[in-house]
Amino acid sequence: MASLIGIDVGGTFTDAVMITNGVIERKGKIPTNQDDILNTLISALDYLQISKAKNIETITVSTTLVTNAIMQKHLPEVELILFPGTGMKLSSLPWPVDYSVLTGVLDYRGRVVVPADQSEWQTLAEKLNQQSVKPLTAIVSKFSHRNNVFEEQLAAYLHREVPGITTALGNQSGKSNFYRRTLTTYLNLAATELFQNFAYQLKMAVEARGCRAPIRVLKADGGVLPLAKIRPVESIYSGPAASVLGTLAQSNPEESYVVVDIGGTTTDIGLVLSGSPLISTHGAQIGPFLTNVRSLAVRSASIGGDSAVCLDQGEIMLADYRLGPAYCIGGISPTPTDALRYLNLTDYGDLQRAEEALGMLLPENQRTASDLRRTAEIIVEKMVEKIARAIQQLLEEWKTEPAYKVWEVLHHHDDFKFYIQLSGGGAPGLEAALENRMKMRTVLTKFSEVSNAIGAAMAKPTFSWTLHLDTKFSIYRIEETGEQGIWTGPKKPHREVENFLKELAQKQAAGLGIETDDLEKEIFDYFPLVENYHTVGQIVKGAMHVPPGVIGRIQS
Amino acid sequence: MNKTGIIFFPAFDWSLGEFHPEREERLLYTQEQIFEEGIMDLPQVRQYSPGVADLFDVLRTQAIFPDFQQHNLDAHLIAVGSSLVLGNALMKKEITNGFALVRPPGHHSGATVWGNRGFCTLNNEAILINVLRAKYGIKKIAVIDTDVHHGDGTQDIFYHDPNVLYISIHQDGRTIFPGTGFTEEKGGPNAWGSVLNIPLLPGVGDEGFLYALENWIMPAVEVFKPDLIINSAGQDNHFTDPLASMNVTARGYGKITEMIKPDLAVLEGGYAIEGALPYINMAIFLALAGEDYSGVVESQKPQNTEIGGDTIRSFLTDLKRTNEAVRPSWAFRKEPFLPAGDWVYSEKSIYYDTDGFKENRREYIRKCSHCGGTVLMISQKPSVFQKAVLVRIPFEACPDCEQAGYDLAETFQKSEKTVLLQNQLRNQVHLWTDGREVNPFGG
Ligand SMILES: [Zn+2]
Ligand SMILES: [Zn+2]
Repeated sequence: MASLIGIDVGGTFTDAVMITNGVIERKGKIPTNQDDILNTLISALDYLQISKAKNIETITVSTTLVTNAIMQKHLPEVELILFPGTGMKLSSLPWPVDYSVLTGVLDYRGRVVVPADQSEWQTLAEKLNQQSVKPLTAIVSKFSHRNNVFEEQLAAYLHREVPGITTALGNQSGKSNFYRRTLTTYLNLAATELFQNFAYQLKMAVEARGCRAPIRVLKADGGVLPLAKIRPVESIYSGPAASVLGTLAQSNPEESYVVVDIGGTTTDIGLVLSGSPLISTHGAQIGPFLTNVRSLAVRSASIGGDSAVCLDQGEIMLADYRLGPAYCIGGISPTPTDALRYLNLTDYGDLQRAEEALGMLLPENQRTASDLRRTAEIIVEKMVEKIARAIQQLLEEWKTEPAYKVWEVLHHHDDFKFYIQLSGGGAPGLEAALENRMKMRTVLTKFSEVSNAIGAAMAKPTFSWTLHLDTKFSIYRIEETGEQGIWTGPKKPHREVENFLKELAQKQAAGLGIETDDLEKEIFDYFPLVENYHTVGQIVKGAMHVPPGVIGRIQS
Repeated sequence: MNKTGIIFFPAFDWSLGEFHPEREERLLYTQEQIFEEGIMDLPQVRQYSPGVADLFDVLRTQAIFPDFQQHNLDAHLIAVGSSLVLGNALMKKEITNGFALVRPPGHHSGATVWGNRGFCTLNNEAILINVLRAKYGIKKIAVIDTDVHHGDGTQDIFYHDPNVLYISIHQDGRTIFPGTGFTEEKGGPNAWGSVLNIPLLPGVGDEGFLYALENWIMPAVEVFKPDLIINSAGQDNHFTDPLASMNVTARGYGKITEMIKPDLAVLEGGYAIEGALPYINMAIFLALAGEDYSGVVESQKPQNTEIGGDTIRSFLTDLKRTNEAVRPSWAFRKEPFLPAGDWVYSEKSIYYDTDGFKENRREYIRKCSHCGGTVLMISQKPSVFQKAVLVRIPFEACPDCEQAGYDLAETFQKSEKTVLLQNQLRNQVHLWTDGREVNPFGG
């Protein structure tokens, strides 16, 4: 009877659960210390008494470590070297980091149009050698996901000329686009040392408690990977993914619903279509950085139980920040939690203080029971309205996803019967109001208070392999791993490509410790390459995924 | 900075055949280019999802003969529908301009449709224009067709419509498909001058093209004072195009776009899949978004010698003189079935190159000094002995023309198998099959 452990580091609280055979054995919440994520995690593991547990299968954590470092700009300096080639001017997009530019142009199929200029490389090496700290260097070229030649050659050159240099290359995450790939490469390189230290210390701490269970990290796409295999940048925004997975583990596998997880300052909203979480068509954005990190399509509304309630020219307003906890549990400002408590929709906090909090919003002569009640109702209404708008935005976003094939357009919006799966603090108090506002059946998630930790504990490993094969040039590339290689198969392949990718996926999955039993295949596209009315090859595009999901269901 | 909408619908699962130039690969490299550049991440750019046009919007503008069910319209309805999505976004002021980067193209598809011509079955721009007029009350629209081929379908649809200015600049029809678009074609009896054709010598490059725009096209647009400008953005003027021999560059296209300032651009032809499309689409897109397009450089260099300088300037001056000298000559005709009024008569034979058959058409236009005039088209596909009739009551029709339209519809619904009445005035479409009115729209 092996146990699964899940820990989700949230903004205010860290959830922890231990699950054995689908039954929650221990669960709890401890306050998060944002300045010391490592110790928060270790405290949570101690709370679960891992040193006493006999047989722990895995420990999965969802951590805000990298997110915090990026948001608080606690990242080391990185030399960013770009080969932007031709096309749109770099200045058309906002660059949150400095960069330098080198000569060299690739076209959309990865052909070298203008070669690199090695005399520039020499100047660069001299500059880097003069720096006292050996630099972290990120090298990204436009179309390097089609041909890594500039990046690889410059990296090799710098490793020869600049002893002790660390490089990261754009093609290692071979997805378009150039801008997002550059920022992702930059962030990942910048966060690597921080993350590796954290990983090492966490592993040591767990081992010191006599536990040998593998540690895994939750990713933005709702999947997990072993601590040692994950790219640090992939761990950003795993909190909303944990909510979606937690709900998944507590609901019917075939259903379609909106996940609404009400937190202290934000409410996370996700979408599950026939049991599969919706993946965003764009990459995740973190602060000013657009990335190509694959993530679930989630929305975060800046409203939660602790949101500050204030008056603006006599009108009640919900702020998108918190001023400490709810008044009814000792805070300083009225909050939606106080309103819910006053209306007896929850039993969390002190009723007397909740009444006081609402009174603060009214002139002294108007603090009658009916006025207080009306004030509380307005707060709840406004909160529900904010959440409802965010739900509608996510649904709209899903409906207006791009489509590139006739088939996709015609089968785009097959009807899903959605309902709402509601979890988080104050969820019971909002159930009726949200159901009424959205005209959607609303169901409370059972272990709502530790839903995120359940999601982490039960998340499956995920991975995707997206193949781009150009048989004219006999080159294949895998976007996610950056692998580029020679294709020795036929110029006009058919099914053999799928087997090729499947074998590659299985081999790499084994290295990552991922099972590939439920490898999902996307439809492969075959484009005939015609030159002067002769077919000279094909471009083949296709993908296989281990989709996000959960191991089994929680027994209620 | 402009707020620019984009719909990218490459229809990767639709093609006319394995060796056809209008192929699924056409927008493959454009996709590689625009995705890699991060165009969709520009703060002023909004990507829209493709839409599907409904049959009503199609039949208001084009008669699909012998009936719509005999055509596979899926891909075409999405190309049209996507143009409409951008049109609606423009009208709602969500965007200041937009680019429907869609296939299949549409500008060879005319008022009556028996099949696919020049890779087109439905006319994306024409349907869009009539939606904007019917739904939003837009009065005057100019279409500037920069495809290398004459947009004979769009011209055909609006030939009698004084409120749509159709301007086409293209390679001379004596040297290229569809063999029309001469400067003498200037519009029907009630819309004389609402069509402007500028057939160019092969080999004219950026210089000549921009000269014609500056000295002829844009002044004509200014005189017309349109409420909206639509660009039929064909990309086969590029120096690498296999079907044509113009010498325009991607940056030339950027400049063209900057001069035309279209409210909406809709992709038409362009068959240099590798050499032209990814670059031109980028340049047009950046120009629409108000971004610098000078960094868009093709990997190949122009090889042909360009006809420029004085040669092209004097050629265009002569052409303009010829154009101004043309006077209308109408053939009037009386027929027992024609209601009161003067009816101008003409005949037309339309070749469907994709499917290899001919349509013969007799056309009657009611000459009118108050409106665009009711149009009657008796169309025949001789190869299968099929005949069908289109009656069009125009937008803003006068009472006499409106009545004439009803009379014609009544006359022909008894005698002909298929009769379509486009009542643009009342925004209605009626279809009769074997004398019985049918509702093709379901519900
Ligand atoms: Zn064309
Ligand atoms: Zn009239």
